[in-house]
Amino acid sequence: MKFSYGWIRSFVDGLDVPAEALERLITMKTAECEGVENPSPLLANAAVAMVLSAEPVEGSNHLQKALIDAGQHGRRTVVCGAPNCRRGLRTIWVPLGFKTIAGIASDGMLASAAELGIGKDGNGIIELGETDEIPPADSVIEIDNKSITHRPDLWGHHGMAREVAAITGKRLLHPIDPATLPAPGGPVKVGIEDLTLCPRYSALVFENVTVQPSPLWLQHRLMAVGLNPINNIVDLTNFIMAELAQPMHAFDRAKLAGETISARPAREGEKITALNDEEYALTTSNLVIADGAGPIAIAGVIGGRDSAISESTTSIVLESANFNASSVRKTSAALRLRTDASMRFEKAQDPHNTVRALARALELLPMLSPGIRLVGGLADSHGPLQEPGRVTFDIDWAESKLGRSLSEETVTEILTSLEFGVQNAGGRKLDVTIPTWRATKDIAMPEDIVEEIGRMVGYDSIEPKPPLVPCAPSYDPPEREFLRRVRRMVASQGFTEVSNYSFVSEEDAKRFGLALEDHVRVLNPIAAGQELMRTSLLPGIWRNVMENARHLESFRLFEIGREIHKNAVGLPDERPHLAAAIFTKDDGRASLFELRRMAECLAVDLHVRPAEPRSWEHPTRCAELWWKGAQIGRLSELHPSLMESGRAAVVDLDLTLLLELAPAQASYTPVRKYPTSAFDLSVICNARERAGTLELEIRRYAGDLAEAVEYVREYEGAPLAEGRKSVSFRVVAGAADHTLTAAEITGVREKIIEGLTGLGYELRA
Amino acid sequence: MQDLLDSALARIRDASTAEELEAVRVEVLGRKGVLSALSKDMGKLSAEERVARGKLINTSKQALESAWEERRDSFERAALAKRLDAEWLDLTIPAPGPRPGSLHPVTQIQWEIEDLFRSMGFSVLDGPEVETEFHNFDALNIPPDHPARDMQDTFWLEGGNLLRTHTSPVQVRGIEKLGPPLRMIAPGRVFRNETVDTSHEHTFYQLEGMMIDRHVSVGNLIYFMKTLLGAIFKRDVTVRLRPGFFPFVEPGFELDIRCLICGGPGCPVCKQSGWVELLPCGLVNPHVLRASGIDPAEWNGFAFGLGLTRLVMMRYAIDDIRWLQSGDLRFMRQF
Ligand SMILES: [Zn+2]
Repeated sequence: MKFSYGWIRSFVDGLDVPAEALERLITMKTAECEGVENPSPLLANAAVAMVLSAEPVEGSNHLQKALIDAGQHGRRTVVCGAPNCRRGLRTIWVPLGFKTIAGIASDGMLASAAELGIGKDGNGIIELGETDEIPPADSVIEIDNKSITHRPDLWGHHGMAREVAAITGKRLLHPIDPATLPAPGGPVKVGIEDLTLCPRYSALVFENVTVQPSPLWLQHRLMAVGLNPINNIVDLTNFIMAELAQPMHAFDRAKLAGETISARPAREGEKITALNDEEYALTTSNLVIADGAGPIAIAGVIGGRDSAISESTTSIVLESANFNASSVRKTSAALRLRTDASMRFEKAQDPHNTVRALARALELLPMLSPGIRLVGGLADSHGPLQEPGRVTFDIDWAESKLGRSLSEETVTEILTSLEFGVQNAGGRKLDVTIPTWRATKDIAMPEDIVEEIGRMVGYDSIEPKPPLVPCAPSYDPPEREFLRRVRRMVASQGFTEVSNYSFVSEEDAKRFGLALEDHVRVLNPIAAGQELMRTSLLPGIWRNVMENARHLESFRLFEIGREIHKNAVGLPDERPHLAAAIFTKDDGRASLFELRRMAECLAVDLHVRPAEPRSWEHPTRCAELWWKGAQIGRLSELHPSLMESGRAAVVDLDLTLLLELAPAQASYTPVRKYPTSAFDLSVICNARERAGTLELEIRRYAGDLAEAVEYVREYEGAPLAEGRKSVSFRVVAGAADHTLTAAEITGVREKIIEGLTGLGYELRA
Repeated sequence: MQDLLDSALARIRDASTAEELEAVRVEVLGRKGVLSALSKDMGKLSAEERVARGKLINTSKQALESAWEERRDSFERAALAKRLDAEWLDLTIPAPGPRPGSLHPVTQIQWEIEDLFRSMGFSVLDGPEVETEFHNFDALNIPPDHPARDMQDTFWLEGGNLLRTHTSPVQVRGIEKLGPPLRMIAPGRVFRNETVDTSHEHTFYQLEGMMIDRHVSVGNLIYFMKTLLGAIFKRDVTVRLRPGFFPFVEPGFELDIRCLICGGPGCPVCKQSGWVELLPCGLVNPHVLRASGIDPAEWNGFAFGLGLTRLVMMRYAIDDIRWLQSGDLRFMRQF
């Protein structure tokens, strides 16, 4: 939002703080400023000039040599290309030094309104009326819109001037005299269907209107704050909006059907062509202003084209209404149409403001359209207007909130300067009345008043003070420490941490065999491919592998992130998972074992079980990882069809499960006193028999006396038959309370041999 | 006898291989060797002769044995030296096995700040990334018609939930879980439905902080933020508060720090203002306390939000925010 320094200054009696300093003060006390735009240097040096003579320049079809009288600058000769440069024209000259044009020394320039930044006309040099003066050079202060979303009053210059007056201790001037408004009753009737959606609708009717360009000073004001001058009537509505934050609209009365204007929800199927020449299809959730024939405006957003002010307009209905913030915001969002009006209504404007704006119009219109006449009285329809809110404000309590002392005078002075009503309510308590323009959204409770006092006394006046808090240990969820430990461990084994989006595409979900209906769906994804919440980290990891494989020969990476799993009711489950990958260009065997070793660091003695291969897995290189009776994850090589080059081994572990299964603390067993004995066994089996399966069988038959069964090696080749192998294990046997006898050891051994033989294996000692 | 000894010693000295030396040892010192033979016929000698012979044999034996040992050791030393020489290794070739991995820069900064807060008695909490509308908005005093709830800012999910747009919902969850008084932070991933470019990401990291107690003032907040930021930036910092609007705090502030690059006179980093906007903060809005189930007449506190991603970008002078979620190891490995 742009604020004209000159405009603000016109409401603050004797404001002497320059624009740059004021910008800093506003930032510290009211809202964030984004900078000051200084006036065009052309305007700063401009002087009124009279064209004494203008003659065509020889050899040019448009240039003229003009002799001008520039007042205190004296007579000058200027070469000018403007078609309207003529004898007797009162215009503006800017001293810029000499420049040779068409062989003539041209002294300075005659300027257009556009060149000076004070009007929209750039077609010719400016034409001043007998009494027109050059608008004073003005600075513009730009305020961050986000910092005034809660302040409906700051969407107009008068509201900002109130802040400036309070900040600088000057008197605020009021541009309006409501006493000038006519008595109720006018030629148009107003019907409001729903007072929640339209709490107030006020209007005045004028006739004998002349539609023409606005005077220079008004055009300049609008241009300064970024509004485009159109004609005197439209400019008036924009001017008052920029001044009082009250959006207005003018209808051509001749184009309205009937004398009743209603504010009502649009009917299904109604359409309107707006001032921007776009057609909008309306629904019952859009509030419209309608005449006897249908919608003439989308309430609070934009007017209709058919009833717009044109050069032939002679009679107008001037609307000044109040609309529900949330309804305007929804309509504006649904139609994808944000206007200066909708932006203001969204902030919850004050219903008391509609008639102030009309009073201001009544004062200005005779200057803009000489001969204009008011027809009838004030049309004003509204429900009960809210009484100003009151808050009891305890100064001692406010001191404890801010952490500094406050005198009653200071507090009263600040609140009064912001036009709050203040009365002593006994002791150090005040009875504070909230002005209506602060009451719609902004201020309702004592804490809100603390902010008013705090910002005005200045937060830099508060001494930093250490808080007095209990000496207590912090609560730390165990999973946080666990996740840290896992991250550190994985990184220390050579893996680099990456971070992927929580979104996954339908295509990737399908690629990894994940059912689409198991995913939580994003209703408004930002881009194609980000429509589902991930139920697995693997698609992201796969993409990381593919991309990095273009630059690197081999690498290890991992991510710890949350899988999002849908629940029938309530929030989804968010389960932290670890997904890690090793990419190499070798046969890939070492990578798989390396990942398994890494997993074993987290789950000591995990079991690897054969897995049913999934579509994305290498069909003979995949396994389930089990620990303490639960499947904690999966280890596999990505299917070669997913790779452009090389091989990638991946592991995926459920960290919630790992943490649940991990012992809370280590348990100690006394170190064994009696020696153990070991013997080796070789099992002859099919070449694709898994050692893990054999090991489980050996453990099963070995019984309690077997302390460990360790895989030693395997062998294929002569004298074994083709397709057969020998797998050797070392069995360690022992007992806690004695040294095993030779007979006991033999017993263990025989049980194993007997058991495995029974299963059809052949054994070798 | 002396000749015999001399020739044996010479042969020991001259033995050129371990095998040759062993052959001499067997011949001279062995059970069937020359010295054994000399001691065998001692029985035929007179007592005196026997003593003399015995002495001679002993001294010869000692001389021979020590010569043999010396020679044997020299062979062993040579053999060892030869073996070790053969084990020559070029230690300049690359070592096999993985290089060190690394943690994501956001993880690193997050841990650093978590540790800082824990040292000051703060609990570190997590909240869900998929949130209810209540926790993300209503409980934080952001009513349904607030502009922050516009579709363009929030990712909405089927079932009426959403992706949290800030870590602030953990304020409410934190109070619900721990009850007052409390000190907590909640770092985590947040989402905004914004187009991604060099300085905007739809996925980034924030850290929420809150202290609830019986008497917490703006003065406490300023003290605390100054201490905290001094520890984060590892130097004394000057802070200032100015009004800022955030529905879940009242009063609400923007906290600026004195520009760490120029120290105040103005530079491109601070856009010539001497100050850098760092974080939003304020006293917790009574509506939020009530929504979290505690009585604002009894308890109050302050809250603040820290942009972790922004801090990472500042610390390492990262030029493009998209690197952080890129998964590109050429970037990640630098941290
Ligand atoms: Zn600077």
